[in-house]
Amino acid sequence: MSELTAAELRRQVEMFLPKVLKPSRYLGSEWNAIKKDWDKTEVHMAFAFPDVYEVGMSHLGTKILYHLVNSFPEFLCERVFAPWVDMEEMLRQKKLPLYTLESFQPLQAFDVIGFTLQYEMSFTNILNMLDLAGIPLRCEERKEEDPWIIAGGPCAFNPEPLVGFVDFFLLGESEEQLPEVLRLIAEQKKHPLPRREFLLRVAQVQGVYVPDFYHVSYKPDGRIEEIKAEPGVPAVVEKAIVEDFDKAFFPTKPIVPYMEIVHDRMMLEVMRGCSRGCRFCQAGMIYRPVRERSTETLLKQTEELVRSTGYDEIALTSLSSGDYTCIQPTIQSIMEKHSCEGVGVSLPSLRVDSFDVDLAESIQKSRKSGLTFAPEAGSQRLRNVINKGVTEENLLAAVEAAFQKGWSNIKLYFMMGLPTETQEDIDGIADLAKKVANLGTQNGRRNVNVTVSTSIFVPKAHTPFQWEPQESHLSVKLKQKYLKEKLRDRRIKYNYHDMETSYMEAVFAKGDRRLAPLLEWAYKHGCRFDGWSEHFDQETWMEGFKELDIDPKFYANRAMDYDDILPWDHLESGVTKQFLVEEHHRALQEARTIDCRYDVCTGCGICPGRGVQIDLKG
Amino acid sequence: MRLRIAYTKKEDAKFIAHLDLTRVFERAIRRAGIRMVYTEGFNPRPKISFGFALAVGTEGEREYVDIDLERGLELGDVLGRIQEQLPSGIRLLEGQVLTTGAKPLMAVLNAASYRMRVPMALPIQEDRLQEGLQAWLAREHVTFSRYSKKGPTDKDIRPWVKSLTGNIQGDEVVFELEVEMGNAGSVRPEEVLGSLRELENLPLDLDNLRVKRTGVHVSYQGQKSSPFELLAE
Repeated sequence: MSELTAAELRRQVEMFLPKVLKPSRYLGSEWNAIKKDWDKTEVHMAFAFPDVYEVGMSHLGTKILYHLVNSFPEFLCERVFAPWVDMEEMLRQKKLPLYTLESFQPLQAFDVIGFTLQYEMSFTNILNMLDLAGIPLRCEERKEEDPWIIAGGPCAFNPEPLVGFVDFFLLGESEEQLPEVLRLIAEQKKHPLPRREFLLRVAQVQGVYVPDFYHVSYKPDGRIEEIKAEPGVPAVVEKAIVEDFDKAFFPTKPIVPYMEIVHDRMMLEVMRGCSRGCRFCQAGMIYRPVRERSTETLLKQTEELVRSTGYDEIALTSLSSGDYTCIQPTIQSIMEKHSCEGVGVSLPSLRVDSFDVDLAESIQKSRKSGLTFAPEAGSQRLRNVINKGVTEENLLAAVEAAFQKGWSNIKLYFMMGLPTETQEDIDGIADLAKKVANLGTQNGRRNVNVTVSTSIFVPKAHTPFQWEPQESHLSVKLKQKYLKEKLRDRRIKYNYHDMETSYMEAVFAKGDRRLAPLLEWAYKHGCRFDGWSEHFDQETWMEGFKELDIDPKFYANRAMDYDDILPWDHLESGVTKQFLVEEHHRALQEARTIDCRYDVCTGCGICPGRGVQIDLKG
Repeated sequence: MRLRIAYTKKEDAKFIAHLDLTRVFERAIRRAGIRMVYTEGFNPRPKISFGFALAVGTEGEREYVDIDLERGLELGDVLGRIQEQLPSGIRLLEGQVLTTGAKPLMAVLNAASYRMRVPMALPIQEDRLQEGLQAWLAREHVTFSRYSKKGPTDKDIRPWVKSLTGNIQGDEVVFELEVEMGNAGSVRPEEVLGSLRELENLPLDLDNLRVKRTGVHVSYQGQKSSPFELLAE
C-alpha cells in the first residue's frame, strides 16, 4: 500500500475526529509509540486488540508483545483496537478501512494481523474488525496478498469457535514463539510456498495450532466422535513456555497514552503463574509453573520505567502478587528510591490469606480508598470444593486489621452457581458480609461500606471444572433475588453480574467449531462489544441459535463425561487431563489440594520434560 | 517557583482533550526529572493550571499554562528540559517566572481570537460577504440555539463578539474573530459562523470548517495584551 494512501486516510480521518468521542483513542502519536520505516522492515505485523483502546492499552501482554516485536530491527509492529461504535459508524459512512494507529496504514497492507483473545465476549469484535478492514472473514476466501490472521492469549486454549476465521493460533507464552513465527513469515514473503505447505512449516513451532490439520467428527447426539490430526503435525499441541522468565523480554519504555486508560500506571510483572490451584480458575492452570522475577531485575525495570514514562504509580502485577516471595523487600526498595519523586506502589491482586495490613498501609497513599477481597464462596465447604484456601478467620482477621488501620470501604467478590452450591452457601455470603460490616461498626468505623459483588460461574476449558455445566438461568436469578433480599442493610451494597452475558460466555468457553457460523451470523446482525452491557444484545443471539438450529444448552448447561472427547482435547496447557480428573474428584469430596510451593508436588504435570520448574526468588 | 509558559497545541496534540492536558504536562515534567509542587490534602496533585479550554480538534497558536516547580531552577534550562519530553505539537514559546501574588491565568484572561477557514458551498462575491458581515455586526441581538443534554437553549451571542472580519482566499473564506471570554461563558466560533450563515444567507460549508485559536488575551479598556506583559508592570 502506498504512502499516499496512508496520508490520505489520515487526512480524511482527521476531518471527523473532533466529532467522535475521545479522539485520542485513534491517534498513535503517544509518548514512546514506535514508528518504524515500512521499507526497512521485512515483516509488518498489526497487533489487534478486539476491544476499545483504553481497555487494550491497559493490558500488559499487549505492551510486552508490541515492544518485543519492535525490538527486532527486521520486524515492525503497530497497534489497532476495536473502534468504538461512533468511530465505526464514521468509518463505514466514509467508506474508510480500519487502520493501525502508528502509520494509518489500512490493515490490509500488513503481512500478519495478530489478535489477542482475552475474553470470549470479544469474539464478534474480531469479525467486525476484519470486516471494517475489508479483509475476507473466512480463511478460504482470503488470497495470497491478504494478511495472515493469527491469534493468541488465554482463549486460544479453546479457540474452536474461531476456527475458519483464524489461520493459526499461538498457545502459551509468545516471547520466543512469536518471533519464530514472524521469521517464517519473512521467509514466506521471500520464497512463497503454497498455503498448506507454509502452514505445515509453522505448525512445527512450539505451541502453534493450525486448525486446518485437525479434523473433527461428531456422533449422532452431537458429541465429538474423534479429533484427528493429519500426519506431520503434533497430535496434541502443547503450549510454549519462555526459557528463563527472569531474563525474558520486558518493555521498560511502554507507550504513555494521552487519555486516561483503565490501568493508567507503570506495570511490573513480578511473577508468572499461580499454583494455588483454585479449581474454577483457568489462569491458575494455563500459566504454570510459578516463576518469579528477582528483586534486582524489578528494581532495574522500575528505574527505567520511571525515567521513560513519567507515571506516578507502579503496579506490581501477577495473578496473586501477595504470594510473590520477595514482595516486602521489593516494595521497600522501590519506595526508598522513588517515593521522593512522588511515585507510589499499588498491588492490584491481594489474597486474603497472604494479606498483610502493614504492607497495604505502607503503599496506600494518604487516602484510604478501599480494599478488595475475593473469598469466592460463602461457606467453608464450598471454598473447599473450589480449593480456595481462604478461611473465614483469614478474611475476618484481614478485614479487622484494615478497619483498625482506618479503612472503611471493603469489597467482597463471590461467585454464584459454583458446582455443588446450595442455599446454605448463598446464606453464607450474606452472613459473611454482615460479619464484615459488624466488624467495621465494632471497630468504630462510622461509614462502613461493604460492597458484595457476585459473578456467575462460567466453566472453563483446561480446569478441573471443565466438565461441569453452568447453572440454569432461572435458578441463578432466584439466587440473586434471594441474596438481594438477605443483604438489606444500609452498610451493604450488592452488585451482580448479568446472567445473559455469562451464559453466552459459557457457550463460547465450552464451544466447538460448529459455533463459528453463529459468530458470523451474530456479528452480521449487529452484535459487537458483547462484553459491554450497553451493547450486549441477547435477543439477537437467541435468534441466531434458532436460525442456525444450535442448542446453547448443549454447550453451557450439559455436564460432560470424563470419557467425552472435549473440543479442546488436542490442545494442552501442560497440566494433564488426568490431574484435572483427580482434582474434579477431590472437589466433589470437598478435599483441598495444597499449593506445591508450600507442600509436596501435586503431580499436575507441568514441570517434567519441559525444562522448566517452579522458580522462587525469596 | 511558579512559571507561566506560552505554548502551541498543534498537529496531533490538537486532539488532546483539555482534561488530559494536565497529565501530559505532569508526565513530561516528571520525565524531565524536575520536581513539582503538590497540592495539600488527601490526594496531592501537582499544581498545573491552564487558561480557557481549547475545543478538541482546534489548534492553539499561543496558549498558556501556570506550573509550580521546586525552587532554584534556571528558567531556560527548565523550559528546554520540559520541551524535550513533550509531544511534537506542543512547542514551548516563552516562559516567565511569576512574582508572588500574581493572579492566576483564569483571573486575567478575558478574550480570545480565532482564525477560521471555511470552503464556500456556492461561490460568494467579496462585496456580498462584506455586506453580510456588516449586517450581522449591526445587529444588537443575535439569538442562537445551543443544543445541550437538556435540550435547546436560546442565547444571545452578539454581546460576546468584539470583532469579526472576513475575506475570500481562493475557494475559501478566511475569518478573523475576536470574542470576549469569562466566567459567564462565551460564544463558540462555529456558533458565530452558523449564525452568520443562517441570518445573512451566506453559503458556507461548515462541515469542513477549520478553526485555529490564534491567541488568548487580557483585554482592558480596548487594549489587548498578553498575560506576560501584564507582569512587567
